[in-house]
Amino acid sequence: MTIDKFIRRLTSLGLAITLFIFIAAYSIIGTVLPQGLQREFYIESYPSLGSIITTLQFDQVYSSWIFRILLFLFIVNLSGCTLRILPGQLKKMNKDHFPKPKLDGDNLRAENMDLQKFRGILEKKRYAIVEDEKGFKASKHRIGNIGSSVTHLGIIIIILGSFVGNIFAQEGFFNMLPGDIKGFPEYGFSLRLDDFRLGFRDNGTVDQYYSDVTVLRPGGEQFGDTMWVNNPLKVDKVDFFQTSYGWASSLSILGPDGDEENGLLRNGESYFYQPGHLTVYLYGYFPNMTLTSQGEPLTMTEQELNPYYAVILYEFGNHVASEILEPGQELQYKDYTLIFQDSELYTGITYRRDFGYIFVMLGSFLMTLGLIFSFYFYPKHIQVEENSIRTITRQNTWGFDYQVKQMVQQSTGKEE
Amino acid sequence: MDLVYFEELMFTLAFGGYTLSAVVFFVFVAMKKDKVGKAAIGLTLFGFGIHTVAIILRVIESGRLPFTNQFEFATSFAWGIVLCYLVLHFAYRFTGVGAFVMPIAFLVMGYASMLPKEIKPLMPALQSGWLYLHVGTAVISYGSFAVAAGLAAMYIIGERQKATGDGRTVLPKSEVCDYLSYRVIAFGYLMLTLVIVTGAIWAKYAWSRYWAWDPKETWSLITWLIYSVYIHLRFNRGWKGKPAAWFAVIGFISVIFTFIGVNNILPSIHSYR
Repeated sequence: MTIDKFIRRLTSLGLAITLFIFIAAYSIIGTVLPQGLQREFYIESYPSLGSIITTLQFDQVYSSWIFRILLFLFIVNLSGCTLRILPGQLKKMNKDHFPKPKLDGDNLRAENMDLQKFRGILEKKRYAIVEDEKGFKASKHRIGNIGSSVTHLGIIIIILGSFVGNIFAQEGFFNMLPGDIKGFPEYGFSLRLDDFRLGFRDNGTVDQYYSDVTVLRPGGEQFGDTMWVNNPLKVDKVDFFQTSYGWASSLSILGPDGDEENGLLRNGESYFYQPGHLTVYLYGYFPNMTLTSQGEPLTMTEQELNPYYAVILYEFGNHVASEILEPGQELQYKDYTLIFQDSELYTGITYRRDFGYIFVMLGSFLMTLGLIFSFYFYPKHIQVEENSIRTITRQNTWGFDYQVKQMVQQSTGKEE
Repeated sequence: MDLVYFEELMFTLAFGGYTLSAVVFFVFVAMKKDKVGKAAIGLTLFGFGIHTVAIILRVIESGRLPFTNQFEFATSFAWGIVLCYLVLHFAYRFTGVGAFVMPIAFLVMGYASMLPKEIKPLMPALQSGWLYLHVGTAVISYGSFAVAAGLAAMYIIGERQKATGDGRTVLPKSEVCDYLSYRVIAFGYLMLTLVIVTGAIWAKYAWSRYWAWDPKETWSLITWLIYSVYIHLRFNRGWKGKPAAWFAVIGFISVIFTFIGVNNILPSIHSYR
């Protein structure tokens, strides 16, 4: 195979279609197979296919080498195709260019039509008219010629922008209690959580989550703002997003000698008390508790109307007690006393600095613009001679003929 | 009696109107009588008008557009299908198209009627102006693809009739069905592109990432890729006729899976019940 032939194939429509199909098929795998789990999960869950799944990286489809190669080939194909077709498209945008009508195309000329009136209608519809020896030629929407290239360029920018953005993106997640300060020395500021609030509806369900924060800068400059879901906070080029929340509960353990240890536990967390070899597991804090028919604790709302703690206690790793406690209620085990109280809401915040987002948006805009050019500003040409009217377009021949027939009708004086 | 009662009543009447219109369209295609065709269009307009009232009542009840759960999207989707059909009908006056589009609207309404209709307050992630742009474009896009699939089915059946030499027909010429199907797909494709773009912008605000390969996002992309193949083959390879018609039907199956299948089978942050 010659280099020319190879390049032709690499930039061909055939390869583009093949890649569309492969990318779609490969993506489907990612929607039906759980992604990003341990290798053992796939081996145990799919005994005969587990090793194939992990070898072909079906367990992480969208970051797999196969997917990246497909996208790389797609970019090469799309870029090559665009470079190949663009010169021709630019040539067609020149006002001197007028394509030849199809020899077997319909003649839309009506016998009793007034050609001058028809020309007037075309001019009103903003057709550019050029006289020639046999009659005139009308053209419109030459910009539509580059529609596909603009769309392709948009897609290339989206893929490259997201790829580069993901490589260099800085992101993370952190929890904060009111009063906590999280430093971002790399960006030159810190974030203090002043308050975290839940907004409630009349029926007690949560309407919105609010984090009141203050941005602190080294020089003493500071400003406050509130973030909530769908309203991120932008500080310099870093975005902060309200992501989650939870309850943190204070635990106090009193030993036989009157010594006291304190800890802060979130739901599902454990505290190991060395002197008594005790592990205190906070199954959950239920601010408005009820019990299900199976006896499982459940919170009706997040309002602290009927608060209880579900606590499990282990000694040397062995289960010794499961209790549901009121705030401040003592749980006695041997010589030790456990007390849960003063639960407080904490906020979960995600931060992300994404260099690629602006390119993805630019690409999206170009892609949409290109499609509008292609579908609604496609080039339309009409060749008018003494005895014939012929239309030339690639995008919508039937529809364009239909429009021109209506204009012809208008120019006969008998409008449809 | 409150607004909920009237909304349900209007919804049921609209469902009845669409069902009857689908039946009358079939009668029109079989009997080829213009009066029957006009009656079918009248029933469609009646159903659409009543359906619009049902949606307006729901907007008044909930204080927002009905785009936030499966029932609301299904009823809006059916409304979008009928709207696209009526636009096409009044632009070109091809009455017979209704025989292939209204059964789809009937099925989507039937699906909607089986879903819980209660109005729930918006969860925090849905409290955004992007909801209306994102789901609104989806309603129009999916509606267009449904109409295109109806036109494609009409093409396939029209060709069969031609092959069997089955006399006069009230269906548009096969060539017209083929072109209209393509143009409607082109419009739906542009709208689907906007669905994906507005969804990405919204996701960036709500979840910090514009694309997370969530099953709904991925299936939207898959649908977009399927229609991309269609448009490229059509425009560059002159794909017309039967293969193009079958492709339009396959594309619509992907649309339906993205809407119903993904919501019910694949766990997703988009699974709003």
